[in-house]
Amino acid sequence: MKAIRGVVLTCDPAVKQILLTMNEKLSFIIEDLDEHHLVIKADEEWRVRRELEAELEKNTYSLE
Amino acid sequence: MPSVQQASTDSATASEAPSHLLLAFLQSQSQNTLTRLYQRPSSCLSIFRLLGPLERQIVMNLLWLESSIPASTMATWVPHEVRKTYENSLSILSRLHILPQSAVKLALNPTFKTSLRHAIIGGGSSGSFGVPATRDEKHSSPSIEVLDAYALERWETILHYMVSSGIATRPSQGVLFLLQRSGLMASIHGGSLQITSLGFQFLLHSPHAQLWELLLQYLHMVEERQMDLVEVLSFLFMLSTMELGREYSVEHLSPTQTAMLEDLRDYGIIWQRRATSKRFCPTRLATTLTSSSPPLPAAGGVSASAHGQGFIILETNYRLYAYTDNPLQIAVLNLFVTLKSRYPNLVVGAITRESVKKALTNGITADQASRQIISYLTTHAHPQMRKNKPLLPVTVQDQIRLWELEKNRMKSQEGYLYTAFASQADYEYVLNYAKQLGVVLWESSGRRCFFGTLEGHPNIRGFIERRTAGNA
Repeated sequence: MKAIRGVVLTCDPAVKQILLTMNEKLSFIIEDLDEHHLVIKADEEWRVRRELEAELEKNTYSLE
Repeated sequence: MPSVQQASTDSATASEAPSHLLLAFLQSQSQNTLTRLYQRPSSCLSIFRLLGPLERQIVMNLLWLESSIPASTMATWVPHEVRKTYENSLSILSRLHILPQSAVKLALNPTFKTSLRHAIIGGGSSGSFGVPATRDEKHSSPSIEVLDAYALERWETILHYMVSSGIATRPSQGVLFLLQRSGLMASIHGGSLQITSLGFQFLLHSPHAQLWELLLQYLHMVEERQMDLVEVLSFLFMLSTMELGREYSVEHLSPTQTAMLEDLRDYGIIWQRRATSKRFCPTRLATTLTSSSPPLPAAGGVSASAHGQGFIILETNYRLYAYTDNPLQIAVLNLFVTLKSRYPNLVVGAITRESVKKALTNGITADQASRQIISYLTTHAHPQMRKNKPLLPVTVQDQIRLWELEKNRMKSQEGYLYTAFASQADYEYVLNYAKQLGVVLWESSGRRCFFGTLEGHPNIRGFIERRTAGNA
């Protein structure tokens, strides 16, 4: 038995796919649990959040 | 009784706000404190007005009975379907020590009964409703307009200071301290005061709720300042039953109450000609403390009428027109609206994804942001908007909620992934233990692994170590 320290992310499948793509560039995923859950390295969380935010932002149209 | 006529409007609001903020505070007080409070007719009347319609009904039914009545008699009036509501009301009254809980007999607290009777039919010891000052030969008493303007100016100074994060005119030290203690504003790294997320929520509440939130904080500080809670409460209740535009004498006030005059002057609750004046006037903020009328004046110029009636027009294309020249209202709108242009009595802007996101990062709490924004827009909607059903365009409401959801697409929690168990039995054994602790966030028996929280880890590790030590 082993215990691995990490952060569990709960998200929708679409966000999970984006995360998987991001993982190809720079690996941070420890374990792919199921459609809605991923375990990632704890110290990568904020970088991942920032990059995800930027990625989601590309898909929105702004009036301003 | 004015309060009985208000019952219908109260019941409408009662569904969203189950009980008044103050009642919760009173319920946490000792029986001794409450009984002393109930000696004053004005306090009893004010508390009576704060109660829900059903509680008021029960109190009224029992008020004129000399002896107690069997609980079963009272219960036969209650249809079976609403039994729960009735019992709930009884328990509220018993926690306030108005109606002692008893399975056999129902009778009002005798002190409360006597005082409320006095409040209704008059008589008894005078002074509980304030002692009007004798006519002043030199000065005529202030007009209601003067009082309204004063209350509004004081109150908006406080709110505007919060919205501007300490740039606008500073309110007095006492107010600043209160804002800090209530957690509505905080100084970051010892610098100037900044508004907190709690403060943002506060700004979107109705003036009546805001006023009581501040006063409750004041009541919490009373003991530290070695003031008598009963004196403070009864003074607030006294103010709430006074007549607007009439001058009252300070001579009959206790030392504690005299000390309160200064604080209440800062909040705009009372008006005095000079700090040393022997008379004071309650403002509309004071006289509406325990009633359902709006606490801020509704008459007057464009900006003042906007207060009472609402001034916001929201279109389906997310454009927002606010008929106001009030800097405070504009500042509050600026929290979640992108303002485009400003005219003497009109501000035009739009609710955009960016502006809502800004509100979220600014501190309007994430899980309630859309609800708060929508309720603010609803309460301040222009009379023209009230013809629409539903009031706010559904597209805009939904979109605000969607924008909020977008912000929370990913949740995270730190912990440990337990995997590679030797056998299924082994896995289930540890998982069961973790479940008993309530620390399991995710599990999969097929893959034989589970995820536990950070807090649960020391326990689980200890459990596994004990087990392997036992096996060896």
